[in-house]
Amino acid sequence: MTIKIGAPTIISIMLSRIGVVLSKSSLIVCLATALALGVVSSVFGALSEQVSEVVLPNGLKIILLENRKAPLITFQVWYRVGSRNEEWGKTGLSHLLEHMMFKGTEKIGPGEFSRIVEQNGGDENAFTSYDFTAYFENMSSDRVQIPIRLESDRMQGLLLREEDFKTEKSVVMEERRLRTDDNPKAVLQEQLQATAFQVQPYHWPIIGWMQDIARLTVDDLRKYYKVYYNPVNAFIVVVGDFKKEAILPMIEQTFGPIPKGVAPDQHKDTEMPQLGERRIVVRKEAQLASIVKSYYVPNLKSPDSYVLEVIAALLATGETSRLNSNLVREKQLALSVDADNELTSRDPNLFSVAADILPGKTVGQVEKALLEEIKRLQKELVGQRELEKAKNQIEAGFTFGQDSLFYQGMLLAMYEIASSWKDIDKFVPIIRAVTAEDVRRVANKYLVESNCTTAILEPIPSAEPKPVQPGSPSRERTIVR
Amino acid sequence: MRKPFVTACLVAVWLSIVSGIAFALPPVQRTVLDNGLVLLVSEEHSLPFVTMYLMVKTGSKDDPAGREGLADLTAASLLFGAAGRTLQQINEEIDFMGARLNSAAGKDYTAVTLRALTKDLDRSVSIFMDAVMKPTFPENEIKKEISRTLGAIQSSEDQPGYVAERAFQKALYLDGPYGHPAEGTKESVGKLTPRMVKQFHQDYYHPNNSILVVVGDVSQQELSRSIVKRLEMWPRKAIPESKALFSAAQKKQVIKVGKPVTQSNIIIGNRGMSRDNPDYYAATVMNHIFGGGGLTSRLMQEIRNKRGLAYSAASFFEARKYGGSFQIHLQTKLPSTDEAIKVAMEDLVRIRTELVSPEELEDAKKYLVGNFPQKLSTQSRIASFFGQVEYFGLGLDYPARYPSLINSISREDIRRVAQTYLQPDASITVIVTRLKEAEDEKVK
Repeated sequence: MTIKIGAPTIISIMLSRIGVVLSKSSLIVCLATALALGVVSSVFGALSEQVSEVVLPNGLKIILLENRKAPLITFQVWYRVGSRNEEWGKTGLSHLLEHMMFKGTEKIGPGEFSRIVEQNGGDENAFTSYDFTAYFENMSSDRVQIPIRLESDRMQGLLLREEDFKTEKSVVMEERRLRTDDNPKAVLQEQLQATAFQVQPYHWPIIGWMQDIARLTVDDLRKYYKVYYNPVNAFIVVVGDFKKEAILPMIEQTFGPIPKGVAPDQHKDTEMPQLGERRIVVRKEAQLASIVKSYYVPNLKSPDSYVLEVIAALLATGETSRLNSNLVREKQLALSVDADNELTSRDPNLFSVAADILPGKTVGQVEKALLEEIKRLQKELVGQRELEKAKNQIEAGFTFGQDSLFYQGMLLAMYEIASSWKDIDKFVPIIRAVTAEDVRRVANKYLVESNCTTAILEPIPSAEPKPVQPGSPSRERTIVR
Repeated sequence: MRKPFVTACLVAVWLSIVSGIAFALPPVQRTVLDNGLVLLVSEEHSLPFVTMYLMVKTGSKDDPAGREGLADLTAASLLFGAAGRTLQQINEEIDFMGARLNSAAGKDYTAVTLRALTKDLDRSVSIFMDAVMKPTFPENEIKKEISRTLGAIQSSEDQPGYVAERAFQKALYLDGPYGHPAEGTKESVGKLTPRMVKQFHQDYYHPNNSILVVVGDVSQQELSRSIVKRLEMWPRKAIPESKALFSAAQKKQVIKVGKPVTQSNIIIGNRGMSRDNPDYYAATVMNHIFGGGGLTSRLMQEIRNKRGLAYSAASFFEARKYGGSFQIHLQTKLPSTDEAIKVAMEDLVRIRTELVSPEELEDAKKYLVGNFPQKLSTQSRIASFFGQVEYFGLGLDYPARYPSLINSISREDIRRVAQTYLQPDASITVIVTRLKEAEDEKVK
């Protein structure tokens, strides 16, 4: 339970500036709060009732949640475009365009966007995922007109200058080196996805393959921007201390005149039935071996997806979860374990279990232990108290997530991307209704060898000289600013 | 036991009007119990849960030589068994409630945090307090934790940013209390024993050495019934005096660490300041302009926006209780290592010699003051904010004073603190990079 190395640090907080790729691992962080959209009656019953939705004549949907806890707001614009909308050979387009969204329009000079937000005490950023690209400003509520003006301007007014594009491309290539190339587990995840998905665009990484990033042109961006950055392909989420009657006219006035555009074709084919286990090995300079086993599963459109949420909690939420108590604490095979389900993915995605293997233990031992846990789910009915525990954790996790206006907005938006924000209402009742038989049935249906892709990180020794004796990372923020 | 003497300092809702931004801050009530514990409570009832944040004023700075990692191992071991509950029972109860209980030591202080639904508050607080006051420290669990920590230390070698940070801290703070990582080193952790853990706990985990912040859905009634009563049972004891000397290197040096990477991970920095330094606020504004302010800072402009040399280039003051550092962090592809360092160095020289523009100064102030309410936007932020206000002795009127502390800074102040605290001639540069390739290049 101790926060170990790997906890957020000053360094990582600083890195999360502008243009974040929501890679698998970081998305998990968001989903951990999101996972459990459902809630203890007091919070949850109220949530959906507090949300209101308005659709402007140009197709732009506005989702509003008034929350007066603090005099703050989060203003978010979500576009239904992510790496799933890209093509082979042009991967990374969505993310590079997201970076260029900070480079100016006819009205706002390059760099001016961030300056205006900061002058008003706000924080701004953006992130790209498989299914969406989102922009947000967190501000004092009396400054809400600032993001409204800026975001409406860049929905279609982007200049996309060649010289900015060249520099930004190098920035993104540096980002790829930082996040993926120099991170063995990120490489493993990228290779796993490329193996598990043969048809769906989840095959390639959100940030794109390096050679694709190098190949993209400003003209590619212009075309992409025109197709996807339209009111009809976007929606706004505002959460915080505002009055609907006051904010709606401001939004209508600025976003209203933007032409509707044509709704882009969002259909993507899904995977063909898998004919047997797929297995890959990534040999790379690394300290510890790792293993990830992923199973192809439906999203929230199938009730089974909610059962998989419960299975993920049974396996790896909390110290007493099965993988934590057996693989980490008891047998001491793994340094850490994880289980996650992509409930709000737009297309079917993966349910994964993963383990970082301790020195002296083998991949074989760990894989055997992981499979034993999966077999247990398939054979034995989970006990009532254990099932209750998993549900309690999911619900409490959701309640805790409500503390942040930003996450409240993000949850509404992720549901809206996958189906509709209104489906948030279904979460708790469905989770609460999951039975021990459901767990066994779903484990038997999806967590089977022929539906599995296994990826193993096999460390090779470094050619580099032995490192100097390391000093110390600073793990706390001692600065009150 | 007597009723606690309450030094009530009820700061209701502050309403400050600052540069046109009006904001209301969460209320906080400060009480000092008879046993010396400082209790800070901030009530907010919109969500049915509570966050408790206990700061014990001991951390890796108190690790004895050769026992680096002891404070952190002690913090972890608190949760392995307490007052009749085994590790399994503690975890089972916490998990069943969906609560979160964590503990970890930093360099200056140790934090034990609990988050629980209001309906489970009584039960979870009992576990939380038993862990802090009556841990049993079972040997086998502590031994397991030691081998886990060794694995984690090894694993962290795959993170170039951590490797750079550790090398920087060691070079700057030498063998002083801040020189080693809180989790210890691969040499020291294996030498730690359950007996040492018990002793460390007996030495430092006392109410008169602690601050407890309670935030969220808790009523006065519940507070006195469930929380204060238990806290009063915690006996006051003497804390060992520290004779440690906090020093920092002042010699220019370049340290290269070899790793199989595609990017050089660079830290440039020097001795900074402790949190109580009066120059802290001028340094905060200066740093915002130089490298603290997101996309708009000078470092980001020069290194990222103009040249595309890095995804992130940022600076900060690590201001601790007994000293600190100033650091610039950036990562760039191997061939542009020298260029990126050169640009950062030029920026250091520029802010030391030229006055910043009036617009830069104005923008920085507007951001720092206007962004202040964001620091208090969630329960955990409120808890750690008030905990630090108490720990660093900033006073509960700190939020009200903050705008004037920032707004009083002049362009000359900025140049003066840049000259004092940014020292290119005494800088430590750490470069985690592919040494072998760099050598091969030279041979060619």
